[in-house]
Amino acid sequence: MRGVATSRGPIATPVVINCTAGWSSTVAAMAGVELPITTFPLQAAVTEPVKFFLDPVIVSGTLHVYVSQTARGELVLGASVDPYPAYSTRGSLEFTEEVAAHVLELFPSLAALRVLRQWAGLCDMTPDFSPILGKTPVEGFHVDVGWGTYGFKAGPVSGEAMAQLVATGETPAIIETFDLARFGDGRLVGEKGAAAVGH
Amino acid sequence: MLLIPCVHCGPRNASEFAYADAVLRTPDPNAAPPAVWRRYLYMRTNPAGLASEWWYHQSGCRRYFMVERDTRTNEIRAAALPPRPADRGAP
Repeated sequence: MRGVATSRGPIATPVVINCTAGWSSTVAAMAGVELPITTFPLQAAVTEPVKFFLDPVIVSGTLHVYVSQTARGELVLGASVDPYPAYSTRGSLEFTEEVAAHVLELFPSLAALRVLRQWAGLCDMTPDFSPILGKTPVEGFHVDVGWGTYGFKAGPVSGEAMAQLVATGETPAIIETFDLARFGDGRLVGEKGAAAVGH
Repeated sequence: MLLIPCVHCGPRNASEFAYADAVLRTPDPNAAPPAVWRRYLYMRTNPAGLASEWWYHQSGCRRYFMVERDTRTNEIRAAALPPRPADRGAP
């Protein structure tokens, strides 16, 4: 690894970390690294605001749906990733229909609520629903990718471990089992901490 | 709603179908070592652009066929039946 070419000129560096989400395959391809990742859109929607009534986040693994209420009173609705891979972040009617039907099974009283907006983000899914952290076959090109539909809480500690890898050149023990080589060696990670919906 | 042009039934809503992975070249079962099989199982080009895919019409003719789809726009360029064994150069 010698550097990165950017739209504002070249940056010389012996180490690069690919910590993208949604585009980790395309960024890795720039370095000639192949990843076991497929990109799926994950949609969510928000309703018009109502008086605060819902304190916890409600998740149903059976219905594949989650509901929470924001401080402004809007209900945030989400479900599993779209049924086919894509780099498009356009919302779909199928999603709105399905998430609404499942939310109404949990909260029939919400039938008159209107959806304000919906959106999508890209999720890089791995075969074992676990992230890929650490070195790649290209010297100096590291990855912190494949978090799929989760990673908010594990993100900071993975950043700390990646910083340690950069500083010492050694892979910290806490991320050893999440290496890219696990797929070639046939030692996938059974990640039970992955999100309750989505798979 | 994404319309998938089934080669048997014509265009139908995507909700009738199951996406069934990228079209890949199957390793030679008589020669491929485990590392080649694992690459076939797990590694994907995951293109942002034109992708060759298998789709399964689960609520229709229940056949598998191949689709060329642009993953950035969901535009479908082509749909075709898989080549017959004879066309693939059977042993």
